Amino acid sequence: MAISRRQFLGRSGAVAGGVVGASLFGNPFTRDAMAMTLGDRYVVSLYLDGGNDGLNTITPVDNGGSGALRADYEAARNTGSGGIRLSSGELLVPGGPSLLDPNTGSQLGFHPGLYGLSNLYGQGKVAVIQGCGYPNASLSHDTSAKVWERADPNRSGISTGWVGRHLAAHFGPSDIPAVAVRGSIPGEFDQTTTSVLTVSRVEQFNFPYDSSNGSDSTFRRNALMALADESLLSGQPVQSQVGAADKSTLLAADSYPGLHDAYEDDRPSFDQMYDDLGTSAARDLREISKIIYGVENAVPNVNARYFELRNGGYDNHSDQGGGSPGGRHYNNHEEVGQALETFYADCDDMGVADKLIVFVWSEFSRRILQNDTGTDHGTQGPMFVLGGTVNGGVYGNHPDIADGSLESGNTIYTQDVANPYRSTDFRDVYGTIMKHWVNVPHATVLSNLLPLDTGDPNERWATENFDMGFL
Amino acid sequence: MGDENTALSAGDVRHLLRRTGFGAKPKEVEKMSAKYPTRGAAADKLLKFKPANFRPGGKDIRARQVSWFKYMLKGKRALQEKMVLFLHDHFATNNDTLGDDLQMANQNRLLRQGCIGDFKQLVKDINLDPAMMDFLDTVRNRKEQPNENYPRELLELFTVGVTDFQGNNNYEQEDIVQIARAFSGWRLNEKDDPFLQESRHDFMEDFPKRGPKVIFQTTGSFGPGGRSFTTLGEGATEIEEVIDILFEHTDSDGENTVARRIARRLLEYFAHGAYATSDPPTAAAADAVIAESGFDSNWDLGALIRAILVSDAFYETAGSGPATPRSVKWPIDYAVTSMRLLGMKLKGKDARLDGGARRRIVDHLSDMGQELFDPPSVFGWDWENSWITSRTVLSRAIFARDLTVARGNSATGFRPHKLMDTELTDPPAIVDAVTDVLGVSDRISPTERAILIDYLTDEGVQSSIDLENEDVVERKLAGLFAVVMQSPAYQLH
Repeated sequence: MAISRRQFLGRSGAVAGGVVGASLFGNPFTRDAMAMTLGDRYVVSLYLDGGNDGLNTITPVDNGGSGALRADYEAARNTGSGGIRLSSGELLVPGGPSLLDPNTGSQLGFHPGLYGLSNLYGQGKVAVIQGCGYPNASLSHDTSAKVWERADPNRSGISTGWVGRHLAAHFGPSDIPAVAVRGSIPGEFDQTTTSVLTVSRVEQFNFPYDSSNGSDSTFRRNALMALADESLLSGQPVQSQVGAADKSTLLAADSYPGLHDAYEDDRPSFDQMYDDLGTSAARDLREISKIIYGVENAVPNVNARYFELRNGGYDNHSDQGGGSPGGRHYNNHEEVGQALETFYADCDDMGVADKLIVFVWSEFSRRILQNDTGTDHGTQGPMFVLGGTVNGGVYGNHPDIADGSLESGNTIYTQDVANPYRSTDFRDVYGTIMKHWVNVPHATVLSNLLPLDTGDPNERWATENFDMGFL
Repeated sequence: MGDENTALSAGDVRHLLRRTGFGAKPKEVEKMSAKYPTRGAAADKLLKFKPANFRPGGKDIRARQVSWFKYMLKGKRALQEKMVLFLHDHFATNNDTLGDDLQMANQNRLLRQGCIGDFKQLVKDINLDPAMMDFLDTVRNRKEQPNENYPRELLELFTVGVTDFQGNNNYEQEDIVQIARAFSGWRLNEKDDPFLQESRHDFMEDFPKRGPKVIFQTTGSFGPGGRSFTTLGEGATEIEEVIDILFEHTDSDGENTVARRIARRLLEYFAHGAYATSDPPTAAAADAVIAESGFDSNWDLGALIRAILVSDAFYETAGSGPATPRSVKWPIDYAVTSMRLLGMKLKGKDARLDGGARRRIVDHLSDMGQELFDPPSVFGWDWENSWITSRTVLSRAIFARDLTVARGNSATGFRPHKLMDTELTDPPAIVDAVTDVLGVSDRISPTERAILIDYLTDEGVQSSIDLENEDVVERKLAGLFAVVMQSPAYQLH
């Protein structure tokens, strides 16, 4: 499958145009930084935008040994017209690792639409991490998304992303360690010095030097690169950021477009599988796959290790639907699950499944009690981490959803170790990823990336657990 | 310290025209300087309009996007359109979710008519705007199960905001719950007017009695009793009463919360690149323009804008040095400004650029990150440096390239001879002429100018440039225009 660098260069139009200078071939600093931390691994962040209903994602099937999760669930979610309750019979319980709530022993199941992820769970490739939240939850999409992206539940004014802080410490302004398959730089990658590439489709990433005047292209590229460098040094913060974006754009435009044809030629069957799904989640994951393919084949200037994509449409205040195909939430889950299953198979075939994790998050879950035909904003929900070497299984407890335990219809965050429904702070999940996957020393994670809260240790995140066990 | 009598420099005029409109043509700068030489006179001139009744037309959303774009490109009422864009972002409603281009167009007209008027009245009108009622679920808000979607955004985005200047919360979740109860029961009739349609109503024949409601028991300086908003009865009077109370809310400094937030947003919009610098507008800057305009009692947007346009806060960002805060042009600003300065029009019914791949303007805008009538969410667009990513940089570059390769003598083509003296042969003079046409001569540093000269001369090989030679125009002059429009400095204003 793999192609040599020479073969790749031969078929890459941008490179054949003679625009690329020798300085672009490899970047020792980038390689060095990679070796210090992530090595040859990859991290993909998948954001479910809008607030995913966690209670209808990983759902109690029965009451288990000690609890009443199913009864509480049925009290909160209606059946009938506009009802969104998932019946015990339609919930998916795959083989593989047991899918029991560690606290109550309740059998859990995947939403029927999420069969793709359920299949991967059955293969032992998925960690389900329940009850992920943070103290003093915000029910605003914007505020809560920023809390997750910046890992700053105290809203203390931190303006950088939790991954971005790591990138900024290890990469220079024209490195491209991170790629977002979307129109804007994701908050978790936000930082000041390192350029994050945003692409929608790699093959469209050609710089428009004006093809009818090929002989002028080198002059134009040189001028634009000089203007970008000059802007980087301008001392004007905004102009400097535009310069950084320009520079990484010019560099990426030399190398990224060719990834499309190379991938399509060498991996036609997988290419077709994404096409057959036809969803934006599938197409976006395919772009990540193309870039990973480029890295694995040592394509010049393609060094990205961190990726982000988002899937929207989870803000289901109305018409959420239940467990049948066609409902809004069913469609959301089906799209994401199918796309992840195909992406994992693709990566497995490339031999990188064991070098990859995908973590899935949302800015909040939804109200435990449903409204008319949907759900309003809520607090804690499940996260997922999937990958070839992930220790599949259930981590963290299902939140307490008994009517009398709710506050304004929402579950209550607690770090009280004596509380059997203790919450999982999302920073423990991020810290475990940083420590056990990215290889950042424990103390550095704590000091530079995920600082602890102060205050009542039962109500705040005052003790970290970066060894959750899923990696 | 300046005031409304402060005289304007040419640089000040360029800044004023760039921020309140779509670029500054050299002739426009001359005319403004001569006829309206002070901050006050220029602001009055720009604000002297009665909002147009214009509603973007067309049979679908694409056609309406084009209709609005062309209206902006005419440039007759640039400040009016800048304000409609601001309000479209502020009361962000997206057609992607709504799927109703007529309602979107009607909302657009509502925003235009209110763009320099009474902001409190505008919020009341938005309460019952069909597009908004559908977009944020007011039409699905039932007495038995109140839907919090609209009330939450009313507080968070349209009026008081989550926190004040001190970082203290402006409201609690309970306030949203209470307000949601008041907005239950509204429906749209077939003509999309707000109307209580009995057949689809909340289990009651008349407006449902939902009982007393109290808000702001912990914020807003209303005291522990908070404020009841059912004093005038339930229904239409009640949701207007909610707005009246919101506009009385004071923050932890004891200042009017809505006035400060809107003043801050408009300062960010016109005066600062606040999201991109660590120096957002201060409480003092907001308070100064509120005091100048009386916005916290008259709610007059026109007066507030005038106060901003005569303030030091606005003209402090007019300088050309690297220390001056810059603001990133919105994609719509980038596109309209570029076409207007080049004197170019769109071609054909589907409004394409005549150059490059002859793409539709709406596709260009979408790639640059701004689809009119389709802000990404109720939060509107992310401003400032969020407009700039590798993808959008590339899309802007493609747009600039396409403009400069459009051929032909009609107004859909690129006609540099109409814009500058093509008898020039001296490379530095040609570079200066081009940056002048594009309105950035004051924003190009000496080093950047040298880079452009280097480009024009094939890196020092040519000492003289013959712009009468068609090949040179095709290759180098078009290229120079493209490179300037693709340069970092041109993305800013």
